[in-house]
Amino acid sequence: MTTQESSNPSPRAAFPGGRPRTGLAARILERIEGDRLKPRPRWEFVFKNYVFWTLGAIAVALGAFAFAAAVFEVQNAGWNLAAATHPDFLTFFLAVAPFLWVIALALFVVLGYANIRRTRRGYRYPLAVIALGAVLTSVALGSGLYAAGLGGEIEESLGTHLPFYRPILAEEHEWWLAPQKGLLGGTVLSLASSTRMFVLKDFSGRVWNVDTSDLRGNDLIVLSRGGTVRIVGVPTTATSSVFHACFVFPWKVVGLMHEEAPTPPLFVPASSTETATLPPRSEQCKGIAPYTRLRALDGDGF
Amino acid sequence: MSQSLTDEEIVRRTLADKDAFAEIIARYEAKLGRYLERLGVALPEDREDILQNAFIKAYRNLNSFDPSLPFSSWMYRIAHNEAMSFFRARRARPQVVLNEEGEALITELKDESADAAAHAELRLSREGLGRALATLDPRYRDALILRFFEDRSYAEMSDILEVPIGTVSTLIHRAKRALKSAMPEAFTP
Repeated sequence: MTTQESSNPSPRAAFPGGRPRTGLAARILERIEGDRLKPRPRWEFVFKNYVFWTLGAIAVALGAFAFAAAVFEVQNAGWNLAAATHPDFLTFFLAVAPFLWVIALALFVVLGYANIRRTRRGYRYPLAVIALGAVLTSVALGSGLYAAGLGGEIEESLGTHLPFYRPILAEEHEWWLAPQKGLLGGTVLSLASSTRMFVLKDFSGRVWNVDTSDLRGNDLIVLSRGGTVRIVGVPTTATSSVFHACFVFPWKVVGLMHEEAPTPPLFVPASSTETATLPPRSEQCKGIAPYTRLRALDGDGF
Repeated sequence: MSQSLTDEEIVRRTLADKDAFAEIIARYEAKLGRYLERLGVALPEDREDILQNAFIKAYRNLNSFDPSLPFSSWMYRIAHNEAMSFFRARRARPQVVLNEEGEALITELKDESADAAAHAELRLSREGLGRALATLDPRYRDALILRFFEDRSYAEMSDILEVPIGTVSTLIHRAKRALKSAMPEAFTP
């Protein structure tokens, strides 16, 4: 018992050996009793803390998904053939830059920061540390997802469901379904060596006879492997069924979980000494817009 | 007996017996009352309302107290947040009245201005300082009050204001600059 208590018993001690209830303390304790207030249980705070950490972690994980999709989009944008598919680099860049995924990554990083900041000790971490940590974690996880082949799955499956977004492969298919611009993409079905033609099914399912007379060294090697190819050729009408090819490039999609199985070779290409004797490409091919760039890409010197 | 217990021990006791909370109130009532006055809550009845709400909030949230930080910082944080809510609700401007305090801040400002002011005498007064503080951005004012009037360390200020320690340092630096701008007559040689 305190001295105060023994001399004046009316304000009772708050607890054994404690302060008497007077003034503000008395009013507060009466209100606590009157309103039947109790300390909120610990689990509520622990749960709230976990919720914010979990939301922060989810946001960072979603940021990783966005990063994986962005890498897939950038990797498969067809940068080397930009000169053939687009009038200038800016148009191409605006078409392939992964704005959506970068915005999504930024948004998720901000969400991650906001949630981590609201955890019990979140305020102690500077903005730069949390933001950089969230970005680096998203990038590291996203790189892992991309390496595991999930970048393409994410980009395609999310992209297909977003009304304002088209997956990069669908976008590219459209670019290479433009025979009137001299661009054609599809699968090599067969090769008729005697007629110097091969048969190609384009991305819309239409079958074309492709004239190979202007194809040289590397084009023939690509063609011999079969599979999906992109062809730059002489612009033709939409009604024609023959396409005059000038260059053939492989269509290799990188970053997919299930890579395309290699197709059996369609023919054995001629040796380099034989192809060296081939004449230069025709004037028709030399007239196509990015001829010099394509020839450099083709690396055949014709 | 209860006076020899630490705040953290009393918190533990309060969770078992609410009456122990009277000791917390007794320990912090005067300190927090002064703090609220320095923040600009001028009327005693307003201060009491804020204090009452702050203690009730503290009691309700006792289980969220993190023993890794000082209990006083946690209590100051709650009082600070209640005061900010009060100003927002009343749309009131703080009325900072400094009594015999503020010497630490005046000394600090004088020391910093020693070179710039050359031999001129700084005309700093408590009244002028109080008026200038009232015009500052609340974040700057809070930082100065905690540092120079409440004598809180940067780590404690970080816990009270819920900002990183680096931000505390920036706030104090900017606050001092803003305060000097608010009292140009005092710093003109």
